[in-house]
Order: sequence, then structure tokens, then C-alpha cells
Amino acid sequence: METSLKISNISKAYPDCLANDNINLELKSGKIYALLGENGAGKSTLVKILFGIIQPDKGKIFLNNKILKLNSPRDAKKNKISMVFQHFSLFETLSVLENLILDSSEPKKSLENKIQDIINKYNFNIDLYTPVLNLSAGQKQKVEIIRCLIKNPDVLIMDEPTSVLTEQETKELFISLKKFSKEGILIIYITHKLKEVITLCDEVAVMRKGKLISISKVSNEKIESLASKMIGQNLKIVRKKRLEEKSNDQLIKIVNLNYKSTNPFEVNIKDINFEVNRGECLGIAGISGNGQSELFQMLSGEITSENNSIVFDNRPIGKLNPQERRKYLIAFSPEDRLTHASIPQMKIFENVALNNFKSSDFFKGGLINEKKIKDHSQRILTKFSVNTENVELKTQFLSGGNLQKLLIGRELITSPNLLICFNPTWGLDVGAIHYIHETLIKINDQNKSIILISTDTEELFMLSDKICAINKGRISKVFKTTDVSTEKLGLLMGGQFD
Amino acid sequence: MGSLIKIEKRNDISNSILLFSPVLAIILTLLSGAIIFYFLGFQPLEALKIFFIIPIADLYGFSELLLKATPLCIIAIGLSFCFKTNNWNIGAEGQLIFGGIVSGGVALLFYNQEGFFILPIIILTGALGGAIFALIPAILKTYFNTNEILTSLMLVYVAKLLLDYLVVGPWTNPEGFNFPETRMFSDSARMPLLFEGLRIHAGIFIALMLVALSWFIFFKTFLGFQMKVSGLSLKTARYAGYKGKKTILLVFIISGACAGLAGVGEITGPIGQLYREISPEYGFTAIIVTFLGRLNPIGIIFASLIVALTYLGAESAQIFLQVPKSIGQIFQGLILFFLLASDFLLYFKVKFLITQKKNEY
Repeated sequence: METSLKISNISKAYPDCLANDNINLELKSGKIYALLGENGAGKSTLVKILFGIIQPDKGKIFLNNKILKLNSPRDAKKNKISMVFQHFSLFETLSVLENLILDSSEPKKSLENKIQDIINKYNFNIDLYTPVLNLSAGQKQKVEIIRCLIKNPDVLIMDEPTSVLTEQETKELFISLKKFSKEGILIIYITHKLKEVITLCDEVAVMRKGKLISISKVSNEKIESLASKMIGQNLKIVRKKRLEEKSNDQLIKIVNLNYKSTNPFEVNIKDINFEVNRGECLGIAGISGNGQSELFQMLSGEITSENNSIVFDNRPIGKLNPQERRKYLIAFSPEDRLTHASIPQMKIFENVALNNFKSSDFFKGGLINEKKIKDHSQRILTKFSVNTENVELKTQFLSGGNLQKLLIGRELITSPNLLICFNPTWGLDVGAIHYIHETLIKINDQNKSIILISTDTEELFMLSDKICAINKGRISKVFKTTDVSTEKLGLLMGGQFD
Repeated sequence: MGSLIKIEKRNDISNSILLFSPVLAIILTLLSGAIIFYFLGFQPLEALKIFFIIPIADLYGFSELLLKATPLCIIAIGLSFCFKTNNWNIGAEGQLIFGGIVSGGVALLFYNQEGFFILPIIILTGALGGAIFALIPAILKTYFNTNEILTSLMLVYVAKLLLDYLVVGPWTNPEGFNFPETRMFSDSARMPLLFEGLRIHAGIFIALMLVALSWFIFFKTFLGFQMKVSGLSLKTARYAGYKGKKTILLVFIISGACAGLAGVGEITGPIGQLYREISPEYGFTAIIVTFLGRLNPIGIIFASLIVALTYLGAESAQIFLQVPKSIGQIFQGLILFFLLASDFLLYFKVKFLITQKKNEY
């Protein structure tokens, strides 16, 4: 049976923005549709409307020419619309089977047979009786997909499914999705990755700033054409000058770094060794949740370690806290800008004062030197082209890109010897990403070093001189970036180190 | 579609709302107070007048208001250090009593001596006693991961029972016919009175000094900045490199010392000796004062005056209306309840809409 889904004049406004502006789309089964757009383009809002999580201000949805009223995800499921979210909602301590039968009224035995059939049919390599916590991200995603397939969906929505997958897992996912599509399931695939659109999808709908910009056949598009539609301008390409002759002047050396956490949600760090020379950028790839956050905190001093396990400029610093490490001109830019690197309820200059490098002297004699902090903040705003001049503005009113410029500026204005950053462009729009990338390249040009922990492999290939991968708290051998292929890096990220 | 009232999250909290919310809470408290009095069979306006106006209508009444507001203000200033940094010290009452015990013990040592040095020693030991008693939950929290709400609260009863034991046992007045109380302190161990015939004493200056000092610390020092950051986000505080444990210990010491000082003020001021009930639960009531004052030193001054009035009003109501004194606690409870309810307005705005859309589908 053919499924058709029609979105007609959908609008949804939030207090500050129009998330969906009169969207019209017609989709038919047998094809994989890409919904392409940057963060904040309105793709998530649109699919949340399709899945009944939010209700539109205006507009209608038709399924097979019948009007659909979706007040909750329950209504969506009743109408055979399923969705796999970016973040999994599985009970870690329950087995795969237990997770799958939780919300079903079918008898357990018949359901188990049904699940087994699905697993055999699509070659999902999953043991029904293992606890979910022992599964890889890719396997967890398969469990989520099975959960949808049990309901025999007509429409399957996938929300940025590859953000947690390795290259190999992504390939497997694409094979499955193509099979589902052949069997008549209408697939809506949300992404901001252009390559995926080209390799997987049949048609592509591009969204920008709440509007539907275009819908076209993928065979008529190229990466460049999609990019300019998505961004609204032509994509500038940053390129790093890679010097053949890199210095052998060692700046930081990590020796047998270990961390055993008492928190079951943290990853243990196991025997990490690497070194970074002056002027170099070391990229650390990995799928999120493999110990990057713990490694970052150990490098920043939020988690302390054996004094000799981190040697900076021939001095052991493993026991120092972040404030003390800043004295050595090491700067840190955490992944989470809103809960880690800054406090949204505080003003710009107060957030700047969080990072008291010795040279800045914000708190002489224990007193707040407000004038000094404000002058310093003003300099950051100007030099790093943050879109405001008001240092009294609370940072919650800055956009993601401007906040990141402020925070990176806060780190860089004292020209540190080493910048340690974790997903510096996460969630930013293309303009801001471009700016941050250029800035990072500039640092290397000034013979300063970077440790770049990132889940974005494209970014890593673009910026790093040396590259390695982190998996379950262990780190692979370090390679010259030019010697590593995407496939090889994918294997490393998946833990196949040899 | 078309709900009449729409509730939206606020993006930012404006200063006017921050002031408006306590005022609204007070108005609602008065309203519900009037209703309670009405059902008790009184003329509501008359009763409210007896409760809130009569007690402070003359100079003596006003001085009593300041006398009661002083310990509330001192304790609340200390608690604001804790609450600003998300340390829930509920045991100020115990710290007050323990400060009272220690300083009272010192005062008893000097019961038959005079000298200008006696009072300063008593004040210092009182602050020290409160600080040490507050350190117990602080150390338990930082090094043993216990919940400070429980430990600090339970320690209140430890202090109460200890005081009980001392005043009926070892410290009881040998010439006191076995009444559960100690000797009277010597005159040198008493807070100087400000006016002849009124009970108000020099402790009020301690309160005002603490207000000024805490304002300075909160808004002008690195320590205050660190406390603000730790209160808003511990993760960010760690990232900045602030020492979390040290801050916890410090704020408990400060609030314990303040509670201890309040205890000193009571026993060396109006009381002049130790007995079982040296505090009418000032330590608990001060929690209300702290929040009513928005954790802000200036706000705490006003809040302590308002809450002190409920103590006086309750006594006045007992005399003129023959209702139990506990009615004062009802008013304290109402204020806190309405304050927390009004705080809803801080984070959400309520919009009244005229229904326009009928149905879309």
C-alpha cells in the first residue's frame, strides 16, 4: 500500500522566532526524504509536530488524504508514525527484550518471535538477553529502530541518527534504511550533513530560518549546491597550511594518565599517553561518551591526577587546579557552553572574570576590579567580533555563535601557549563555525598549540596535524593526519586500535 | 485552543518583579490573616490592627520590634551566605543555642567580676561556639557526603538537650531554689542598653555592622563573586578553579558565627542568664527572613522587621483577643508560603488572553 503524507501551511511561532513559517511538503512512500538544515533552521520543530510532541499554531497534516490530529506521540503511533530520536530512551540495566516489550500489550511470546523475525530479516546482530548498557551506540540505535518496526510503521522519522555512530555503523544503518524504504516505509531523514544526503536520500527538502527553501531530487544536486541553499550564501573553505617541517619542541606530555570514577555514568580513563609540540594541533576523535569529557576535565584540572602524568613545559602539573594551570598560560574551552563554560544568568563581564589569568589581575587584594574586567571584556567583544558592545548584557541573550566567540575570545586574548578545546563548533551555524576554524588555524600559525577533542571528523581532518581516537577511555596510536583515511579513523573510533 | 490564561516562561527576571513578589506575598498574608480572624469570630480589620499596628504604636513597642528584629537579622545575614551557595543550613537554632552555651559558660566564669574585657571575650567565644557547631554538618557534608539538611537540623536537638542538661545540672544556680536556670551574669557581661527603661541593646549595632560587611563581601570581593558562581553552577565554579570544599566550610563557619552572635545578644541582652528557652525559635524563623529578604543584606533588614512584628503581634493578639500566641507562627508560615508561591511569577509570566480561535481542524 502506498503511503502519502502531506504537510499543509504549517506554522509554529515561539516568543523570539518563527520556527516554522508556512511549510508545505508532500511526501510519498518508496523514497527516503532528507530534511536538511542548520541548527535552528526549524527541522526539529517540524518533525516534532509530525510526531505530536508539539502542536502547530496553524496548518494541517494529511496522512493518505485523511486529516491527522496529533495531540501527543500516542496519536502519532496510533497512525503508524514512528520516530527514532537522537538521544536514546532505553533503560540501561534492562535487557534488550525487556526494553522492547515494556510499552506493548501483545503477549510476550508472540512479541519475542516477532522481534526475532525482524532481527533475522535485517541482519541486526543483537542478542535479546544482554543488558542495554553493554551495547554500543549503534546497537542501541538498532534497538530503538526495532521498537519502531514492531509497530509496522508507515512513516519512520530519523533525527540526526549518525551523530553517535562510527563510519562502519553508519554504513550498516544506511543499508537498513534503504531496505525499509523498498518495503514501503516512508522515511524522513533529518540531518545537517551534506554527504549523507547525497549517499542515502532520494529527495531533499532544505530548510533555513524556519522556511522551506527548496525541495528537489538528490540526483540533481551537488554538495556545493545543497550547502549554499542551506546557508544562504556560498560556502567559504578554510584550509590549513600544513608545514612539512614541524618543530620537535615538546610542549605538553601526557604519561600514563588514569582515572577511575566512582560515578557509574562517567567513563574511566585508561593509560593515556601522547605529546604535543609547539605550533601543533593534535586532534582526538571519538564518538561522544567515550571519555572525552573526562579527558578534558583531567587536562583542565577539574579532575586532578598524579602530578607526573601531565608534564607541561617540563613541569609536572597533574595536581594543579584549573586556576593554577592558567598561570602556565593554558586555556580551556569546554564543550558545554551554557552549563560548564559560562553562567547564562550572569553578565558578559562577570563571565569573563571567571577566567582569571594571572596577567589580567581581576581580583587584586581580594577585591573585584570591575573597571579592569569591563575594559578587558570590551577588548574581547571587539577583537573577536561578538555581536554586542554591552558588557552588562547577560550571556543568555547571546546566540550560540556569539557566545562561543566570547568564550573562545576569553581564552585566547591572553595568547595562551596551549588551547584545549572540546567540540568548539558544536551546534553553531556555518558562519560561526568558519570563524572559529579560522581562529584555531591562526593560533597554530603563531606557534601556539591546540588539543582539539571533537566528535566531528571533518573538523578534525581540516584542523589537526596529528590525529588519534579515543574509545572507552583508551586512546589509539597518534598518526599524522595526512596518513589516515576516513575509514581508518572510523575503525579507530570503534575501538579497533591495531 | 483558546485557553483564557497562558503561562509562559520568562527569559529574564526583572528587578521590579523581584521587589513585587515579596510585597505581593505580604498583601496575600494580610488578606488570609483577615479571613482567619473573621472565622475566629473577630472583626478582621480590628484584629489586624491589634496584630500589626498596636504593638508598635508607641516608643516602647517600637524598641521591642528592633529588639526582636536584631537576632533575626543577624542570623539571616549568616544564612544568606549558606543559601546563596546552595548549602542548606537549617540548624541555625542549634548554632544559636550552642553559641549561647559557650558564651554563657564564659559569662558564668566571670559572674562575680567586673571589667571592660569581659563582654568582648563573651562575644568572641559566642561566635566561635556557633561556628564550631556549624562546622560539624559542614565537615560531614564535604568529607562524608551526608545531607546537611538532616545533620544540621538534628544537631539543633543536641544543642537544646545539652542546654537543658546544663541548666538543671552542673550550671544550675546554687542559690536558685532548683529552678532550671543559671546565675545572673555580672553587669560587665551584659550588652549596654541604649536607652533608659527600654530593653533595646548594643546588639543592634552588631547587626548593622554585619549587614554592611556582608553587602561588601557579596558585591565587592572575590569571595563574594566565587560564592555567586558556586551558587549558580558548581560545574562552572570547578571549571573556574574555585575550591568547592573550602567555600562550603567557610559559609557554614560564617553562618554559625552569626547564629552564635545572635545567641550572645539574647543571653547578654534581655535575658542575662542561661535557661531552657533562650530563643523563641529565632534560628528557624530566620530562614523565612532570609528568603523574604531575597538573600540580600538590605532586604534582610526589612524582612527581619516584618517578621519580628509577627512575634509582637502574636503577643498582642494573645492579650487583647485571647487567642494563643502560636497565631504568630501561622503568620510566619503564611508569609513563607505566599512568598514561595509568588516566586512563580519570577520565572513565569501569566498572560490573560481573549479567546479568538475556535477550531483549526
